[in-house]
Amino acid sequence: MRRVLTSFALLKFFVRTPKGAARLTRRAPLLLIAALAAACGGSNSSTTSNPPASAASAPRRGGAIVASVRTDPKSFNRFMNSDVSSDLVAELTHARLVRINKLTWDVEPWLAESWTESADHLRYTLKLRSGVSFSDGHPFTSDDVLFTFAALYDPKSADVSALAEAMMINGKPLTVEAPDAQTVVITFPEPFAAGVRLLDNMPVLPKHKLDSAVKAGTFAKAWGLTTPPADIAGLGPFMLKEYVPGQRTVFERNPHYWRKAANGDSLPYLDRITVDTIPDQNAEELRLESGQLDLISGEVPAEMYAGARRAAAAGKIAIADLGMDRKADGFWFNLRPEAFKNDPRAAWIKRDEFRRAISMAVDRKAFADTVYFGAAEPVFGPVTPAVKRWYWTGTPQIPYDPDGAKKLLASIGAARARFQIMTQPGRPRFQRAVSVIADQLKAIGVQADIVNMEGLSVVQKILSGDYESVYFAPSTTDIDPAVSPDFWFSRGNVHFWNPNQKTPATEWEKQIDDLMAKQGRTFDMAERKRLFDEVQRVFVEHQPILYFAAQRFNVSSSTRLVNVKPALHWTPILWNADELAVR
Amino acid sequence: MRAYLFRRLAFALFLIVAVSSASLILARLAPGDYADTLGEQMKPEQRAAYRHAHGLDRPILSQYASWIAHAARFDFGESLKYGRPVRDVIPEHAKNTAILAVTALALATLAGIGLGVVTGSSRGGFAAQVIRSLSLVLLSMPPLLTSLFLVFLAARTGWLPIAGMRSSQVEGSPLVDLLRHLIVPAAAIALPLAAMFERLQSQAMRDVMGRPFVVATLARGVPWPRVVWRDALRVALAPVASVYGLVVGTLLGGSFAVEVITAWPGLGRLMLEALQSRDVYLVVGCAGAGATFLAIGTLCSDLALAWVDPRVRE
Repeated sequence: MRRVLTSFALLKFFVRTPKGAARLTRRAPLLLIAALAAACGGSNSSTTSNPPASAASAPRRGGAIVASVRTDPKSFNRFMNSDVSSDLVAELTHARLVRINKLTWDVEPWLAESWTESADHLRYTLKLRSGVSFSDGHPFTSDDVLFTFAALYDPKSADVSALAEAMMINGKPLTVEAPDAQTVVITFPEPFAAGVRLLDNMPVLPKHKLDSAVKAGTFAKAWGLTTPPADIAGLGPFMLKEYVPGQRTVFERNPHYWRKAANGDSLPYLDRITVDTIPDQNAEELRLESGQLDLISGEVPAEMYAGARRAAAAGKIAIADLGMDRKADGFWFNLRPEAFKNDPRAAWIKRDEFRRAISMAVDRKAFADTVYFGAAEPVFGPVTPAVKRWYWTGTPQIPYDPDGAKKLLASIGAARARFQIMTQPGRPRFQRAVSVIADQLKAIGVQADIVNMEGLSVVQKILSGDYESVYFAPSTTDIDPAVSPDFWFSRGNVHFWNPNQKTPATEWEKQIDDLMAKQGRTFDMAERKRLFDEVQRVFVEHQPILYFAAQRFNVSSSTRLVNVKPALHWTPILWNADELAVR
Repeated sequence: MRAYLFRRLAFALFLIVAVSSASLILARLAPGDYADTLGEQMKPEQRAAYRHAHGLDRPILSQYASWIAHAARFDFGESLKYGRPVRDVIPEHAKNTAILAVTALALATLAGIGLGVVTGSSRGGFAAQVIRSLSLVLLSMPPLLTSLFLVFLAARTGWLPIAGMRSSQVEGSPLVDLLRHLIVPAAAIALPLAAMFERLQSQAMRDVMGRPFVVATLARGVPWPRVVWRDALRVALAPVASVYGLVVGTLLGGSFAVEVITAWPGLGRLMLEALQSRDVYLVVGCAGAGATFLAIGTLCSDLALAWVDPRVRE
């Protein structure tokens, strides 16, 4: 069925692209990894194909918009679920102590209006805003912050918590005290360079609503999908009004929302946001183009870009091109100790030279042109140039050199190498990518057999280590490397090629571990950057994951939206939902 | 007749149990389980704890035996994804599928049988040729393609909602809003179905029109339309009637393709989501519901045939 959907998308492309125009579609979706990636990227500039609504009109109170997601939320308890739809619910209905501004990627005051840091960088004293109330009118105090941490580390729900692990430093929890109703003191178990940035992950929960669930040991099940909306309170700009399974989630303006616009207007501007569940990408985009949607929650997929451009040209929607994405899909081999055991290929398949040869055999420019219809740029490492703050400008450009690749393969006895590439057929860009890789490897005598597997089977195979190589979407979780230890450290869960190592399997992984540990404890930004540059150098030298291209990130929305500030982030438009308005 | 009814009921029950059991076993045998959907950041020990808490680490036979024991008390387990009892989740979606199925069936029946009578009873003519050709085209198009085409058409013209069951903000009558949303998915299902009915009905009409009683009636001077629509049609309905029960059962089980493409919140879409996330008990619930509808449809169809033709009871 997905093949036919892809065909339909291509059909649409041919039907709707003006004759002779070589305009090709851009961007591709990031679904599963968007769930993993709470926030990454760098500062970005955008160009729009229509006059940006944000600048054209002054926002006014009132109005409603319709957005879309592909699946229903799994729960209204963000602590227990990290899927993109549950994340969106939390984004709209809850607030954090601090917020990472998705345009600048700087930390900014949110529920905490200010904070100070102790000289040893362990203690942070946060001053909470006064006069803030939950959406049900109950006052917000430091008790709620204490409660939120208690719920976060609740031992009875820790096994299924989607957040607890991410809010620990090297497996140790933060400790929290509340000297008074407006102050909280957070103590880190060890110096942590990213500091309060970590708190952007955690919505503050209402003690008066959930205390009984934590005490009863049922917090993991609290705020499930059957919870009456009136029982859910938050500090976000909107409150849950209605949830219709399989159809929509409706949010209404929170009358107690604490934030004011720069001109003193009460926020949010909108009265209502309806998030429709539309499982099919084609239907989602067609609804946007026909005016039945105001925005899609993610970016415009590559297959849909031509249609979106046409709708933009007709004045129906606005498209913002935010430049290169902050993350790229990757291709890696299974480097676990148990992989390729008793396999004659073991002699060469895990060697650095083999991966380097594969990397040299792929023409990244052709890859970008074919896989992303030209709307992508070659990349060579895990951090793309879009992450300006952390990208190592000295990242070496691996040359396209098939002859060199052949020689390298011959030198390690892999001249006639053959292996399987696993990928997911439901994602058109993955399929295009593995086809390009297989074709280019064939030119140097290497046979890559493509194994298509359904989404969850791919995830399961990756988790269990039952694969040879895979093309997928590995990702870090924040632009700050200290917040993504699971990717960089050899002990990490999402150290995809060889996760959960007890001791580093290779010397270079030990080197990365040491560099990462050091930069995580270093508070001098220049030194941190130098250390992370070194991490990137080691990574690219050994290429445990091969990166070929990063796409351009395009988002689209209705032209009637005002104050749109698209960002390289999951929910690129709704991240500032409180400031959105309609003409 | 009572013995026949008992046999058919027993078979229906067997069908439901067999389909449900097979779906549970197959869902468990498929690679991955719901714990794998919890996010790659989850530690292996957290995943293991989740599996243990929800019985996903139990041997298949043990899980199956436990499920059967609970199902006998109408407890079909809890959906892992929705955190709700399956018996609550299924009816919400089955109702939506029923609305879609009944509408599609009504459209297909009216159009298919009506046009089948026209083509089967006419002695050639341009209209009959066109209808036949259209039917063949529609028959060769699965509902997936039909729905894609209709969604595309709706988007280009802006006449109809493209997806969903109701508008986000209903202006005017909710019933009218629902009917507007029904047009695309119902037509996507109804068009190939109508074509099938048309072909069946046309063939049956052609056979009946050549029978002596029709020839004799016409010879007596009874007007052609009256013979066709009153006498011949009644006899020629049997072939369509014999597949009707199966069609009803299948439609009530939900259509994956149409429900996904048109975002119709029915059983087919729920089943697909459940399969993709390995929500074992929800998969079983959806399969069981589909099997129940199919069994009821088949049972009704068999009983109708047995009532019309006593030989069937043998």
